[in-house]
Amino acid sequence: MEIAVSIENITKDFSLKFRGLKLRAVDGLSLEIPEGEIFGLLGPNGSGKSTTLKMLLGLIKPTLGEIMIFGSSSAKVESRSRIGYLPEAPYFYTYLTGRELVTFYAGICGIPKLRIEERVSEVISLVDLEEASDRRVGTYSKGMLQRIGLAQALVHDPDLIVLDEPMAGVDPLGATEITKVVLELKKRGKTVLLSTHLLTQVEEVCDRIAILDKGKLILEGTVKSLLNDEQSKSFLVKGLSLETEKDFELWLEARGASLLAKEPAKRNLDKLFLERVTARKERKDIK
Amino acid sequence: MRLFLIAQNTLKEAVRQKIFHFVVLLSIGLIVGSLFFREFNFGISEIKFIVDFGSGAITFFGSMLAVVVTAQLFFAEIENRTVQTLLSKPVYRAEFILGKFCGILFVLFIFMVLMTISLILVIGIREAAIYSQISEEIYSKGWIRYGDVVLFSVVQWVKFGIISALTLLIGSFSRSSLYTITMSFFLVIICHLQYLAQEGWSVTSIWLLQGMLQFFSYLIPNFQIFNLGDWVASGEALPYSMVWQAGAYGIVYWISVSCLAIYSFSKREI
Ligand SMILES: Nc1ncnc2c1ncn2[C@@H]1O[C@H](COP(=O)(O)OP(=O)(O)O)[C@@H](O)[C@H]1O
Ligand SMILES: [Mg+2]
Repeated sequence: MEIAVSIENITKDFSLKFRGLKLRAVDGLSLEIPEGEIFGLLGPNGSGKSTTLKMLLGLIKPTLGEIMIFGSSSAKVESRSRIGYLPEAPYFYTYLTGRELVTFYAGICGIPKLRIEERVSEVISLVDLEEASDRRVGTYSKGMLQRIGLAQALVHDPDLIVLDEPMAGVDPLGATEITKVVLELKKRGKTVLLSTHLLTQVEEVCDRIAILDKGKLILEGTVKSLLNDEQSKSFLVKGLSLETEKDFELWLEARGASLLAKEPAKRNLDKLFLERVTARKERKDIK
Repeated sequence: MRLFLIAQNTLKEAVRQKIFHFVVLLSIGLIVGSLFFREFNFGISEIKFIVDFGSGAITFFGSMLAVVVTAQLFFAEIENRTVQTLLSKPVYRAEFILGKFCGILFVLFIFMVLMTISLILVIGIREAAIYSQISEEIYSKGWIRYGDVVLFSVVQWVKFGIISALTLLIGSFSRSSLYTITMSFFLVIICHLQYLAQEGWSVTSIWLLQGMLQFFSYLIPNFQIFNLGDWVASGEALPYSMVWQAGAYGIVYWISVSCLAIYSFSKREI
C-alpha cells in the first residue's frame, strides 16, 4: 500500500518579533499515514495541529524536516493537486454564491470546462447544500460554511483530504453529517487527515490517531488499541432487582471475576439531541 | 488559466463590493464640477482650465484609487484567510500575485476609461458652446486634440499600474492594510519627488551623496515622466516619443516591481 503522507522529523519555529525569541510550534514530529486510512490529529488548542497541516500544504515551510505527499515533496506545487484542504474556521468570498465559489475552485484545480458544472453539482449534493447553493456565501451559517468548505475541498476528487477542525463550532447534526461524508470518502478509498480537539467525535470515525502536546507527539496508535480495554467488558442490563444484583456479584466473584463499576445506563446527550431534532433541512428560502 | 481566473475573481469582487460606485460618483463629480464653470464663460481659457482640472483629477484620484483598491483587494484575501484555501490548491504564488495585479489593472483601466469619457464629454460640450460665440478667425477649430487626451489617460493608467505594483510589493510582506496604504502613499510622494534626486545627483560634488542619490534615482521610478497634463492643456501636439517613452518606462517598472512582489510573497507564511 502506498504511503499517503510521510512526515519526517519536522520542527517549526515561529520567530516572535520580540527580543529574537522563538516559539517552537511543532517539535520533531514524525508520522506516516498509509493510503485509505482516516487519521485523527488530536491535541489541545495551541498544540501545533494547524501548523502541522499548513506545512503539509506548503502554506508555511518547516524549519527542519520534510513532508512527502504520495512521494512528492510538500514544497512542490504539484503535490497539492492530489490534496483537498478545509482550513480551520473557513471563510470564503462572501460576494460569490455557493455554486460560484465551488465553480471557481474547480477551475483553479484545472478541471476541464465541460466537466465543471457536473462535478460542482455532485459535490454540492454530497454536502447537502443544494437549496442554499444560489445564495451568497456571506449569508451562510457556520455549519453551512463548513459544508461548502468541504465541497470546495472535494471538487477535484483528491486522494488525500485534510480537514482542520471540521467539527468545531458545528452542532451535533452538522457533525454527524460531516462524519457521514468522511466515512463515505473512506469507502471510496480516500485518505483523510483531520485535526480536532473534540475527542469523542473522532472516536467513531478515525482508524488511527496521534496526540500532540506542545508540538510533540505523545501518543500514536489505532483507536481500538488505545481505547479498548481487552481485560474488561461492560454489560448493559435491564430489569435487575437489588437481590439478583447481589447474587450476580457473588456469582462473578466465585468465578474469579470482579465487578469494577455499576452505574445507571446513561444516554448520550448527543444521541438524545439527534433523536429529537430529527432530519434537519436547511430552512427553505421563503418566496 | 489560473492566473486569468484569479484576475477575473478580483474584478468580480471589485464590482460586487461596489468599488465602482465611487468611480461613477467621481466622474459625475468631474462633469458637474467642470460644467459649473460655464457660468463664467472664460472662452479659450475655460477649455484650458477644464483640461487642466480634468487631467489633474484623473491623475490624482487614479493614484489614490490605485493604492486603496490594491491594498483592499489584496488584504481582503489575507485577512479573510481565503488565500489559505486558494494557495492550498495547485496555485503558484506568482500566479496569485499576477492574478491580483491583472485584476486590479483592469479595475483601474475601467476607472481611466470612465473618467476619460467624462472629460471628453465636458470638453466637447463646452467647445461646441464656445465655437458658436467666437468667430472662426480668432479661434481655429479643433484646438483640443481628443486623441491626445486619450493618450494622456493611457499613460496615466500605466502610472497607476506602477503604483499598484508598488502597493502589492509593500503588501506582500506587511501585516496590515493600514500600514500598506500609509507606506504606499509615502512611496507615491517620493516617486513624484524622485526627479529632485536626479537633479541633485548632477549638481552635488560630494561623491558619497552623489552615489546615494544616483542609487536612489535608479531604484525609484520617476513619476515626472508621466506628467503630460500640461502638454495636453497647451493645445500643442503631444510628442509621441514622450508617450512611448513613458509607456515603456512604466512597463519596465510593472515587470520589475511585480517580480519583487512575487519574490517577497513567496517567502511569506500564510
Ligand atoms: N504565524 C504564527 N506566528 C507565531 N506563532 C504562531 C503562528 N501560528 C501559530 N503560532 C503558535 O504556534 C502554536 C501552535 O498553534 P496551532 O498550530 O494553531 O495550534 P492548534 O491548531 O493545535 O490549536 C500556538 O502557540 C500558536 O500561538
Ligand atoms: Mg488549530
